[in-house]
Amino acid sequence: MNDKIDFLATIEKAEHQRMARRNFIRMCGGAAAMTGGLSLLSACGDDDTPNPVVTPTPTPTQSPVTDADILNFALQLEYLEGNYYSYAVAGGGIPANLRTGAGFQGSVITGSGEGAARAVNFSDPIIAQYAREIAADELAHITFLRTQLAGAAVAQPSINLSGSAAVVTPGGATVPGAFTAAARAAGVIGAAEIFDPFANDINFLIGSYLLTDVGVSAYRGSARLLTNKAFIDASAGILATEAYHDGVIRSSLYALGLSAPATSIFDKIQRISDSRDTLDGATDTDQSIGTAGNANLVPTDSNGLVLGRTANQVLNVVFLNAAVGTRSGGFFPEGVNGNIRTTIANP
Amino acid sequence: MFDDAQLTGALDRRVQRREERREFFKAAIGAAAVGASSVVFSSAANAQAANQDIDILNFALNLEYLEAQFYSYAFSGSGLPNNLLDGSTAQGARGNVIVGTTNPARAVNFSGEPLIQQYAREIAADELAHVAFLRTALSSAAVAQPTINIAGDADGPFTAAAAAAGVTLTNGVFDPYASPDNFLLGAYIFEDVGVTAYKGSSSLLTNNAFLDAAAGILAAEAFHAGIIRGALYRRGQTIPALVTASEQISNARDAVDGTTTQPGPPQTYADADQGVAPLPTPLTTERGTSTGTGANFVPTDPNGITFGRTAQQVLNIVYLNTANAAATLGGFFPAGVNGGIRTSAAK
Repeated sequence: MNDKIDFLATIEKAEHQRMARRNFIRMCGGAAAMTGGLSLLSACGDDDTPNPVVTPTPTPTQSPVTDADILNFALQLEYLEGNYYSYAVAGGGIPANLRTGAGFQGSVITGSGEGAARAVNFSDPIIAQYAREIAADELAHITFLRTQLAGAAVAQPSINLSGSAAVVTPGGATVPGAFTAAARAAGVIGAAEIFDPFANDINFLIGSYLLTDVGVSAYRGSARLLTNKAFIDASAGILATEAYHDGVIRSSLYALGLSAPATSIFDKIQRISDSRDTLDGATDTDQSIGTAGNANLVPTDSNGLVLGRTANQVLNVVFLNAAVGTRSGGFFPEGVNGNIRTTIANP
Repeated sequence: MFDDAQLTGALDRRVQRREERREFFKAAIGAAAVGASSVVFSSAANAQAANQDIDILNFALNLEYLEAQFYSYAFSGSGLPNNLLDGSTAQGARGNVIVGTTNPARAVNFSGEPLIQQYAREIAADELAHVAFLRTALSSAAVAQPTINIAGDADGPFTAAAAAAGVTLTNGVFDPYASPDNFLLGAYIFEDVGVTAYKGSSSLLTNNAFLDAAAGILAAEAFHAGIIRGALYRRGQTIPALVTASEQISNARDAVDGTTTQPGPPQTYADADQGVAPLPTPLTTERGTSTGTGANFVPTDPNGITFGRTAQQVLNIVYLNTANAAATLGGFFPAGVNGGIRTSAAK
């Protein structure tokens, strides 16, 4: 193959992306005008064929997509992660002054009894210390993003943080705790069993794997869409932090898998990974931690690049729903706040 | 301010830039002829930006050569294949790997430590993939591997780095191939630096396809560093010397890198490097402030953002440049790195 053409192909691809972004802005501006509809990052970010699926929504939103939209989307994920680690370490959610903002402010649904969001009684002090460090980082990310976004920051939405068999959403629906729903969908547990991520060290790590892997892929996927250099710089640093977290979580799971009497950890992680991959379309976005004899602690493509997701693919995963037009579900029973919030078709 | 070495470096660099630009335009003309995107190089500003991107990616490629050779030797006992080492001669000569004599670069004996062996295997594969990927992306503009010193000898760079840091030597040497723990410390010397380099460079890339790829590599390096730091943290509970060494190496990196505190982008901090010693980590949740000990497996700023370094600051570390004047070679790169960025920051 001609090397120069190779290199140019890369440049050309980037040029296509810039064009795509311009198209996105045109299309989404148009869509908003025509339908009072939505702007979706993923609707156009990756696609230079101007044929978006546009789902009308009752609430007109601002178009086109902006850096603020991307950061607010990240903030939604940080609210989820921040609350998870805060509960696991200290038995409570993020402070009230970090939850306010634009959009609909919700609460954490903890559930009750088995599976309820609560402090984990860690048996391994090292894992407890890892967890505390991660919790502090996630709180710092929430604070940082809110500060950057200032008046544009969106509120914490309702978050289903439970592993309980049944919780009631603000809308009055009775649903399983989101961790249990995710574990059932993945086949990690039976249809009538529950998965309690706060029960012990291993379950906590599996719950962490469920969330942090997704956070990494989200920051990884959105890096190229940011335009402000200071945001690119900061976002790269947050991506790195999430990847450090995930490296420790995945290697800790791997170590426990090696030392556990059964190798079921590897099987469980494989199922969760497969399930996420099924939710978010045909592209390969997810990898397990491998097997006892062959670790896969870094989820990379053949070039050694960590896998990324579009914001839309992330929504599919956190809503636990592959369907187009989904606005809520899973960990976000009332949906997310901000302009990126309804699923469209994945490539 | 300007010493001879700096001046020579600046002149060299200008010659190289001209060479690169010539290659670029050749490539651009070739592409236009086959009907590919001719808008890419429609302005001098674009060509200038492309040159900057090439310099940054080539700088990264130098670091990847170093990391890949180290892990390849440590895991398998041999280096990278020859077809991954040649490059554009206009940007610096192809060098060899100095493996040393008394404690040569060699396969670490991982018996009894299957976990660390798995880490080494996976990281070695990722680093090799990064070398191959960057070479493909840069195509004919890719630099050749410079001379790399990864000897474990008394006069090798690992011993020099450890001695400068005050790490306790064994019979006058620090040999990263002598044991799994030494391997972890050797890896720790590089991995954090690689992360800071990609973090610091990300906001300087102009082409968003490259930014996208760099984010993927940054994340992979951060996974690696998280795995290595997490392992050092855990093993440090029973072998406190590992924690001590990590702090000493961190302090040495801080002392030589010449980093100043700047808002950026890229944002940098004067004293940002961190070892893995446990830290008091208060956590403020809705239930008040919970105190406790946290790990320190992620080197972050107060915002939970992994810190970055400029390329010139990174060069001070890999050149082991303890002088205040800028350096163009030394340490792991006894003949300097190849490409447009090869002079370290003056302190």
